[in-house]
Amino acid sequence: MSASIEIAGVSKVYDGGVRAVDTVAMDIRQGEFFSLLGPSGCGKTTTLRMIAGFETPSAGAIRVDGADITHVPAHKRDMGMVFQNYALFPHRTVAENVAFGLRMRGLDKTTIAAKVKAALAMVELSGLEDRRPAQLSGGQQQRVALARAIVIAPRVLLCDEPLGALDKKLRQQMQFELKQLQKKLGLTLVFVTHDQEEALAMSDRIAVMNGGRVEQVGTPTEIYDQPKTRFVADFIGDTNIFRGERVGPNLDVGKNLILALPATEAQGAAVLSVALRPEKIRLTLRADVAGAAGSSVHGMVENTNFLGGAVLYRVTLEGGHRVLVQQPNAGTTHLFVPGNGVTLEWTPADLVVLKD
Amino acid sequence: MSSVASQRPNGLALFILPGALLFASFFFLPIGLMALMSVLTGNPVVMPKVSFTTRHYARMIGDPYYLEVIWTTIRIGLVTTLVALLIGYPLAHWMARIKSRTGHALLLMAVLAPMLTGIVVRTFAWMTLLSDKGVVNQTLMSLGLIAQPLKLMYTETGIVVGLVHIYVPFMVLTLTGVIGRIDERLEQAAENLGASPLRAFLEVTLPLSLPGILAGSLLVFALAISAYVTPILLGGFQIMTLPILIYQQISANFNVGFAAALGIVLLVISLLLVIAYNRALGLVSGQRELQ
Repeated sequence: MSASIEIAGVSKVYDGGVRAVDTVAMDIRQGEFFSLLGPSGCGKTTTLRMIAGFETPSAGAIRVDGADITHVPAHKRDMGMVFQNYALFPHRTVAENVAFGLRMRGLDKTTIAAKVKAALAMVELSGLEDRRPAQLSGGQQQRVALARAIVIAPRVLLCDEPLGALDKKLRQQMQFELKQLQKKLGLTLVFVTHDQEEALAMSDRIAVMNGGRVEQVGTPTEIYDQPKTRFVADFIGDTNIFRGERVGPNLDVGKNLILALPATEAQGAAVLSVALRPEKIRLTLRADVAGAAGSSVHGMVENTNFLGGAVLYRVTLEGGHRVLVQQPNAGTTHLFVPGNGVTLEWTPADLVVLKD
Repeated sequence: MSSVASQRPNGLALFILPGALLFASFFFLPIGLMALMSVLTGNPVVMPKVSFTTRHYARMIGDPYYLEVIWTTIRIGLVTTLVALLIGYPLAHWMARIKSRTGHALLLMAVLAPMLTGIVVRTFAWMTLLSDKGVVNQTLMSLGLIAQPLKLMYTETGIVVGLVHIYVPFMVLTLTGVIGRIDERLEQAAENLGASPLRAFLEVTLPLSLPGILAGSLLVFALAISAYVTPILLGGFQIMTLPILIYQQISANFNVGFAAALGIVLLVISLLLVIAYNRALGLVSGQRELQ
């Protein structure tokens, strides 16, 4: 039965005083696909290893279904784990790899054989039982690692960048399959990744980590559309960040640019940063009629970056600010070229005020 | 006309020439001569009339004394290997897994330091420890644990103690390399799947380190059965091993032919072991090499 995990003020300090994880707190719900997202060295893997029991927290507690497991050894935690390099046993066959956890649980041979068969069928590896890991492709090894972890019906499935070594196409396929499997089995899944697209695509909720701390926990849309901190806004996707001084209902960000703040942000700090996603800006050929003050500005296309389904423009505003604007690829006639004078427009409500 | 390039000697081949010559003149030639001597009636250099004979080998097989010596030599080799493995493996595991660089350096120094002292010196040190009036017996007697001194010197036990001390570093260094290449995450994966740390070691690390165990054991066994100084000093000629016997045959009995035959037997034992090692390794890791 899947479990919930509570991470309560957990820190990990290594010898020499390096704080890899700094008072991290989060609640992972039962049956949830929960991602730990962040750049390398942000403490996401250390956090996962503490949940798995390979590292002991220096402070704080980890509870599974309310029971404190902070000092329970790894082999008694009943958690499945898929390692970054899969960590398949090279001296054992695929079937033996998958059977390992069942054998450790003292199940009888017929039960083990049946469960192994079912697990391999679930990851579509039937027929490869007698191969050795070295004889499998990366994608197949990944599936074996997954089968080995889920066959024990773990309370929690932990994944440490499991798709990192796969090429893009295969990775997308595995993302889809893993997500489907997780929903089907109702697994609580903790997924470590540095790939924001992967995290956004798969997760029910994401914890964005930086420098050993949690910056924000939220659903993919919350993380993307309402980033709370400058780091989150910057780390997830492309974004334009302006910093300036509050002047009445507006923000003066210098260089003759005044932005109208969202109505909900009428009160607050005198100096603040706001983020505006490139795709929330509408781009049109420069019109002589000026748009609404505070949510429209003129500029010139400096260069373009064709992404296929969309085009990313770097636009220099009249005052000198440079902003990114993303427009869907609506056909060749609608594309802008460097040198085009353009008008940028947006809805003030799309500006997100950031905590520094 | 064949291509000129293929007839020109490969430049790299020239580099192995000195090594090959050295190997041929100082390895194959002497061994070939030894093999030849073992089937001759005498030394052809001093005796012009020699003929082929199998009498040296017949003498060995016919006399239980010589078979006993061969068996003693093998037994000492086996026990030394086993003890060196039991002492060396935990040490090697520790060295391979230790995180701190300083710790690793200290362990490596501890393993290598005894090798900086000559075998003779180290063996003499063991004599002062193990003799009837040595440190071990004196201590035990003063503690009242024993009334009579234990017979530690001039026994196989004494020889094994001395040999283990000398050859443990070879075992440790061979094993450290192999264990160090085993991914630690494999053990973690095993523990994650419910194996206790001991079980994870037995199921994963131990089988994966078998090549190192075999290589280290082979090395120590070969060195132990051909050891000369330690068996003489700690065995005091009361324990006879093949190398001692060979030396006696040459220096005391001038029976070069018989000594050569004994030498060939020692060599054959080692060769059989190498073959067995390769077979065992093939069985252990053969399928892994498939791809």
